[in-house]
Amino acid sequence: MTTPAAPSGPRASFGERFLAWIIDVIVVGAATGVLSRVGILGGLVGFVVSYGYYVYLEGSPSGQTVGKRAMSIRVVGMQTGYTIGYGGAFIRVIGKIVSGIACALGYLWMLWDPEKQTWHDKFADSVVVPVSSYPVSEWPGKA
Amino acid sequence: MLLVALVRPMIPLQSGVLCPLRAVTGIPCPMCGMTTSVIATTHFDFGGAFAANPAGILAVATACYLLVRRPLRLRVSLPMVSVALAAMWLFELNRYGIN
Repeated sequence: MTTPAAPSGPRASFGERFLAWIIDVIVVGAATGVLSRVGILGGLVGFVVSYGYYVYLEGSPSGQTVGKRAMSIRVVGMQTGYTIGYGGAFIRVIGKIVSGIACALGYLWMLWDPEKQTWHDKFADSVVVPVSSYPVSEWPGKA
Repeated sequence: MLLVALVRPMIPLQSGVLCPLRAVTGIPCPMCGMTTSVIATTHFDFGGAFAANPAGILAVATACYLLVRRPLRLRVSLPMVSVALAAMWLFELNRYGIN
């Protein structure tokens, strides 16, 4: 199998994605932490928020969570260069389970992948790109 | 590394964290048992893995495929994921005696 030496387009760096991930973890962790103290209903809402946050924001036209917006990067379709949609974002968030196996190897995969894709990127056929190359008109944007 | 250790416990969808849905409501989510299943699979305890959550075996198999074959693309369809999650949830609800 022949693999290209460089990605087919601009890609976000590992450092940018890592920092965006930390910001999102803090945002989601804080939200679910507060909600879980409210009771059963809060816990249920927190559970939905912990997944819905990524599905809604990464599936939106901007493809940006709070962390990705802070780092000026976004998720787009590998083939389209446009939003992956809520369905794609759902696949992506569920795919993170597989990426988390074996010391998060699926997350680190982007370090040597020709297209700089994590495993959950491959499942959703997505890439993470810099906003400087793929501008965002509105955040999160209307579907 | 210290920063990672600090924030990692707050991450959803990671191993080693009690499911927030089950913790608050007692109702398991489709991913409950995945940690146990994945660990059991990596120890070749397929019976234990299946009993916890059959999807753990599939997840490890997928990870092995990605590691060995290193495909450039591996697109997964939404219906496939939806059906798998529904099946996993039914399995977990039955496992915890919630029918």
